[in-house]
Amino acid sequence: MAGDIRDLADEEVMQLVQRGDPRAFELLYDRHGGAAYSLAYRLVGRQATAEDVVQEALISIWRSRQRYDQTRGSVRTWILGIVRNRAIDGLRRTAVHERRREPLEGAVEQQEAPERTDVEVARREEARTVRGALEVLPAEQRRTIELAYFAGFTHSQIAELLHEPVGTVKGRMRLGLDKMRRELAEGLA
Amino acid sequence: MRSDHARFAEDVGAYLLDALDGRERRAFERHLRSCDECRREVERLRPAADVLPGSVEQIEPPARLKAAVMAEIEPSRPRKRRPLLRPVLVAAAVGLLIGIGVSQLGGDDPRTIAATVDEAVPRAGGSLRISDGSARLRLHDMPNLGTRRVYQVWLQHGDKMVPARTFEVGETGRGEVDLRDIADADGVYVTREARGGAQVPSEDPIVSVPL
Repeated sequence: MAGDIRDLADEEVMQLVQRGDPRAFELLYDRHGGAAYSLAYRLVGRQATAEDVVQEALISIWRSRQRYDQTRGSVRTWILGIVRNRAIDGLRRTAVHERRREPLEGAVEQQEAPERTDVEVARREEARTVRGALEVLPAEQRRTIELAYFAGFTHSQIAELLHEPVGTVKGRMRLGLDKMRRELAEGLA
Repeated sequence: MRSDHARFAEDVGAYLLDALDGRERRAFERHLRSCDECRREVERLRPAADVLPGSVEQIEPPARLKAAVMAEIEPSRPRKRRPLLRPVLVAAAVGLLIGIGVSQLGGDDPRTIAATVDEAVPRAGGSLRISDGSARLRLHDMPNLGTRRVYQVWLQHGDKMVPARTFEVGETGRGEVDLRDIADADGVYVTREARGGAQVPSEDPIVSVPL
């Protein structure tokens, strides 16, 4: 009897996707579409734009599915990386002063995912854990990481925004990531 | 060269956070190819950067997003529009439903299809399980309609909506309806009607399962 593809790990599902199986791609959507949309919304701050970003990103992922290389990271990281790049490309085309670091629409509370499935419970738990690791960082390290990752600023733009030397900004990024890594490792231990 | 390495070692965090400009990134990646130490540092810190996207508030995408993506992925997937029940309601129907996303959870038969529920009843959900030409519709967290109204199931056949069974959910909010002869149906829908049921739907469906 053929096994249920829902029992497969992402990397195995991705092999089916690479063979052109739409059902496998649908399963990846079910597993990661929510995280992709949440990320896009956090980055662009508008629901309609977030939908456009995710739709374009996922279609590009389907078209370039042969490029996925599991030695370079998980399927989830790959998908979310492409979603982020797509969103940041759009942000970087806008003027610096128009970029926002928080959602523009205040509807997040209403939409928060009800904890219905294991996938949703797991990703909300992950979100809490990672936010916890971010929150223990010194404020200037956290701010630098957020400006880079979520607002798409380069290190030199951040240095200009914060009136700090470039070397200081780069150092905060590295130190912040290092501290986060240790926090997360301790949390898992 | 040592001085070269020292210059690039500073960039590891910025590289992982995508905070280098294009020229700097390309130079860093060229350096990475020849520097074990920087490669190790990138791999050591990468797990922290990789979890950042998962740190954001988790919200649910609208069902139309999945429908739109899958329609591009699988152009042959039947794209049946939700039936237009009453012309007067057509305009109001736009945007009313969360979407027309359909999750094929199983094979062809038996198969289970997720129901799409109107955003007016946000906690509700359900599924339609089809087996041998008949089906069971299961819904949960549906509002109790009291003594004067009932839920009514409709089977879509082309442009026609054929009335099927009525049901109540009581205090539990759960409803379960067995439907026969749905092999030729194009969709299963639920509306709220006066007790006794209706011959024509009086509102747009609050539960939709396009087939």
